[in-house]
Amino acid sequence: MLKYIIPTIMLMPLTWLSKNNMIWVNSTAHSLLISFTSLLLMNQFGDNSLNFSLLFFSDSLSTPLLILTMWLLPLMLMASQHHLSKENLTRKKLFITMLISLQLFLIMTFTAMELILFYILFEATLVPTLIIITRWGNQTERLNAGLYFLFYTLAGSLPLLVALIYIQNTVGSLNFLMLQYWVQPVHNSWSNVFMWLACMMAFMVKMPLYGLHLWLPKAHVEAPIAGSMVLAAVLLKLGGYGMLRITLILNPMTDFMAYPFIMLSLWGMIMTSSICLRQTDLKSLIAYSSVSHMALVIVAILIQTPWSYMGATALMIAHGLTSSMLFCLANSNYERIHSRTMILARGLQTLLPLMATWWLLASLTNLALPPTINLIGELFVMMSTFSWSNITIILMGVNMVITALYSLYMLIMTQRGKYTYHINNISPSFTRENALMSLHILPLLLLTLNPKIILGPLY
Amino acid sequence: MERRYWDGKVSEIKKKIQSIFPGGAWNPLYDTSHLPPERSDVVIRLEKQQGAIRVLVVERDHTYARASTVLSVGGIRQQFSLPQNVQLSLFSAEFLRNINEYLAVVDDPPLDLQFNPSGYLLLASEEGAAIMERNVKMQRQEGAKVCLMSPEQLQKKFPWINTEGVALASYGLENEGWFDPWCLLQGLRRKLQSMGVLFCQGEVTRFISSSSHMETASGEQLTLKRIHEVHVKMDHSQEFQPVECAIVVNAAGAWSGQIAELAGVGNGPPGTMQGTKLPVEPRKRYVYLWHCPQGPGLEAPLVADPSGAYFRREGLGNNYVGSCSPTEEEEPDPGNLEVDYDFFQEKVWPRLAQRVPAFETLKVRSAWAGYYDYNTFDQNGVVGPHPLVINMYFATGFSGHGLQQAPAVGRAVAEMVLEGHFQTINLSPFLFSRFYFGEKAQEHCIL
Repeated sequence: MLKYIIPTIMLMPLTWLSKNNMIWVNSTAHSLLISFTSLLLMNQFGDNSLNFSLLFFSDSLSTPLLILTMWLLPLMLMASQHHLSKENLTRKKLFITMLISLQLFLIMTFTAMELILFYILFEATLVPTLIIITRWGNQTERLNAGLYFLFYTLAGSLPLLVALIYIQNTVGSLNFLMLQYWVQPVHNSWSNVFMWLACMMAFMVKMPLYGLHLWLPKAHVEAPIAGSMVLAAVLLKLGGYGMLRITLILNPMTDFMAYPFIMLSLWGMIMTSSICLRQTDLKSLIAYSSVSHMALVIVAILIQTPWSYMGATALMIAHGLTSSMLFCLANSNYERIHSRTMILARGLQTLLPLMATWWLLASLTNLALPPTINLIGELFVMMSTFSWSNITIILMGVNMVITALYSLYMLIMTQRGKYTYHINNISPSFTRENALMSLHILPLLLLTLNPKIILGPLY
Repeated sequence: MERRYWDGKVSEIKKKIQSIFPGGAWNPLYDTSHLPPERSDVVIRLEKQQGAIRVLVVERDHTYARASTVLSVGGIRQQFSLPQNVQLSLFSAEFLRNINEYLAVVDDPPLDLQFNPSGYLLLASEEGAAIMERNVKMQRQEGAKVCLMSPEQLQKKFPWINTEGVALASYGLENEGWFDPWCLLQGLRRKLQSMGVLFCQGEVTRFISSSSHMETASGEQLTLKRIHEVHVKMDHSQEFQPVECAIVVNAAGAWSGQIAELAGVGNGPPGTMQGTKLPVEPRKRYVYLWHCPQGPGLEAPLVADPSGAYFRREGLGNNYVGSCSPTEEEEPDPGNLEVDYDFFQEKVWPRLAQRVPAFETLKVRSAWAGYYDYNTFDQNGVVGPHPLVINMYFATGFSGHGLQQAPAVGRAVAEMVLEGHFQTINLSPFLFSRFYFGEKAQEHCIL
């Protein structure tokens, strides 16, 4: 594992010591190289995990997420170049340092073997994200957004600390390898109810669950592009990953404790999709669409069937790439028009046809077009929830329709129609932007050919 | 409101005039400016979505003390010579009739516009009779209810008129009259504030823009500008606030010319599109209020003499307001708003007294002056985007009939910004490019 952590740490001195005109090139190129090395992780046994040490391991659940995280850093750096071009040098380097430290914490979180280490790094990821949102966001609302983000997540996760320490004291170890074998069934009692809640709430807030999702639209909208990308693609998946790990020790309580959350997620999925239809702010639409997709993941994890776990992991990876790409597209709009409102920038297809292609692909993957991995994830979740309870098919079906509706709505509003006067002289798509989009969509399309690598440990 | 560096998602700023942008499916933008608009307000009507576009209205004078809107006579008529003008004021009349539906604010009292639907009576002499008949035919085609009256009918209907020299008269039967412009202004402001539009007192002093060179289809090189920031100078201080914006709507009325120059409109060799300035300048107009005990009664419309003098009834106590548009030579100096009573004695009174004999015994009570945002090119409004400064839209230059067209013009600008073309009323004769191409959309019936 050190072969990923040390290079990532060393990216920081690379940034600070590079020549002024080379900071972007250096950091992007080197982080890209590091992300290629992460592919080595795939070389592991199917049903066991690859244990590097007593601290770090990676199995077929954390590997795709890890690869996604490391893939995203060069993309974030490419996306941030434009809006940081006017800042002074120290600020730029500081921004890149924040991204690198966030990346570092995320790598360690996904590979942490010890649950307390996981918790510490889970909390540690909040700090660089908060700094990125509040310092480099665009509107004054970013302060409020940072506050919501920090305190929602913090309040949700402090009980988790207590619960983990309790489990450490009772079970004896929080090391994941050993925990699998020492786990005792958790019987129904009031204190166990609270322990269950304490363990799960942190991840519910992070996912986010429908009732606790208020921080997400704010944080996503107010964050700069790199912040939005990492939030949507990776930080939300931290919640999913944590839930997948922690449900191991919470059986059989999950069978009945999960009901309120399943209800909330099923209903919230439709609610947030419907809100997307009414949004005028492009980033806000993508943020709510994230909530909707993650609600599916929550349902899948809570019903705990093999197919649903596979669907959840596939959906997490697929959504990570798609959401990040949509945010990049929205940002390319924003950089030209300085407005996130959809209706002010219309008819872009006539002006920027290649970008329209990326918009089309992103919208199609967002609405889970077959045969993309988005569909595979959603389909697995739908099938498993159907077999868990037949009625959920209605809600899931409605959600899929509404998802298609708002994805196409977003596509048509921004791309089709007659363009307005005030976008007459927008600059054409930069190669950097096209590269960014293609680097997002290429893994997504390639995974369509071999989805089994993202289907998680239960494949 | 204290903001250090306010990056509006989208701010529309207008110098003393504000324009608000609608966000959402159907948001008309309304612009009020009648007598010279020193400031015009724009209203947004958000049908469905609130807060979609953030609008900032920049006003130089919060009290509207010298605003053309509130100093105007407040009339609305459909008797124009251009079909577009007729359509604009038809919609505005419908807007004003239903103002409490359009501008309803929760928990606030309804607006009382005091709309007097008494109509306009335009008189024509022998030379103008043929033109008037043609105009009325066009107005009727557009849907205005105007009737033509011969001198005998005129004498029968309005016995206080002296029909000497009048060959034909056109009388507006519906949707014409006058109303309280202050009420409209306050109604618009109230509605805007309730919809979340930000008002700011300040003066636009600078536009920060970026240029890009583009080539037209015929191979000509053009420089397109895009405004990125507006510097709004605070009142009584040297401080200015930079506001990042996506679109700027210039509805500064009489001062739109100055604003346009700040944005770089007209900086170029004359005879090119770059060198075409916005030909809107402030022109001072007087309005006099007098009392005449034997004057025309309640049925008196706004009478416009062929000589240029006009008057209307004001209130119920035999008071009248009226004036006359000065000729080019008599143009008063627009530096201040001082009233010249000699103008009334020499120019206005004789004409009024000749038309309405009862006015020989009138007594002037008071007078005021206001600015017209006079379009020196063709006395009609400029609506729509500028071809080169691509995110600046105009809604100005109405030369005295802005107030009555304000609601419709607002809607038109909204359509232009959101859809890219005019949808309900085709105002393409009012685009800025006509100044370069020399296509006049001349309005003949100017009061």
